[in-house]
Amino acid sequence: MQTVTVAIADRDPGRRKKLEQLLKGGAGIEVMANVMNASGKAHSRKAAALNAACTEDIVLEVSRLRPRILFFNLDSFGSASLKMIEALNRECPDTFIVVLTEGLIEEEQILRALANGARGYLTHEADRCYFLKAVRVVDQGEIWVSRKMLGRIMDKVCTDISLLGRGSLDFAR
Amino acid sequence: MILLASSSQDNLSRWERSIHHLDPVFVSKNLALLNDQLVRGKPQILLLDRDFPGIDGSEGIAILMKLSLETKFIILSQTVTEEIEWELFRIGVRGCCRSDIEAEQLSSVVEAVGRGELWIRRSLSWRLLNELVTMTREQNRIKRTVSQLLSNLTRREYEIATLVGNGESNKQIARRLAITERTVKAHLTEVFRKLDVADRLKLALIVKGSVSSSTTTQAEH
Repeated sequence: MQTVTVAIADRDPGRRKKLEQLLKGGAGIEVMANVMNASGKAHSRKAAALNAACTEDIVLEVSRLRPRILFFNLDSFGSASLKMIEALNRECPDTFIVVLTEGLIEEEQILRALANGARGYLTHEADRCYFLKAVRVVDQGEIWVSRKMLGRIMDKVCTDISLLGRGSLDFAR
Repeated sequence: MILLASSSQDNLSRWERSIHHLDPVFVSKNLALLNDQLVRGKPQILLLDRDFPGIDGSEGIAILMKLSLETKFIILSQTVTEEIEWELFRIGVRGCCRSDIEAEQLSSVVEAVGRGELWIRRSLSWRLLNELVTMTREQNRIKRTVSQLLSNLTRREYEIATLVGNGESNKQIARRLAITERTVKAHLTEVFRKLDVADRLKLALIVKGSVSSSTTTQAEH
């Protein structure tokens, strides 16, 4: 079995440690250095520059480490999350992002994360076996989303096709 | 209500046995009856044999879908390639499976689709997500372009363009802003010129697509 490299972007050290332990127990999974080390510098910066600096730091760190899978905690980065996912997806195309969420997060927020390039999502409360399975599935180029979310994605794609077909696309070209 | 459509009695019997416990089941064996049952019955789910006589591939299915927009279509076929299946999902089909599917599994498919889920093969789910990502990128690009263009408008022009985007007439805009209708027209002429659009419908589409989801554009004014 080929080794899959995994990194975690989560500001909560306790939760990050727990996930690290969980993943380390999985055969063929190598947990890489903490990508939040770089963004730790950003904590001392003022709020306005914090998110931009944090995005830049994390993108740089992920570019350097080049993990195959990045578990990205959606709640850790607030309003900057989507831009960060989009930047990671653009700058680090070989790294696949799996979003981590709290149990009660809105589906719409997950859908936006997926639309910006995440390859899957899991809640922190998910069973250990799902984390390990998600790593394998996403590593193989597939995605880790529920059939229900696929239904939401399809609805959005169909809506967007009709919206884009109504003129604004031609205008912007 | 679940509607089953196939010219094969064998298929219909098997499918009916698989799902009779879920909802009242009706069957169609010819196109005229199927059209009628879709229009009148508005079934929640249609299990449609891809080889149903009179239906010309994906285009034929798309025409059927327009007869009952609330019906979720599940297509059953003896063999279906990944490309054909993808085409079916792109027109709005909610599930695809083999027509000789096990009874228990067909029941699962119908229940899943009924709950709003998509019954799609794994290899295509990546493609579907990729489509969403590509569209999102394109929309973001359009928003950026439109935002740049809108930033060329004066505060008043932007205000009027936004109201046009909300569907207001020149008269309503004039009343709201306490200016004459003639002044509204003059501002709009300038907006059309700056954005290079010919009519208010196009302006409304542009403004709507940008303003509703972009707070930065508004902040610039």
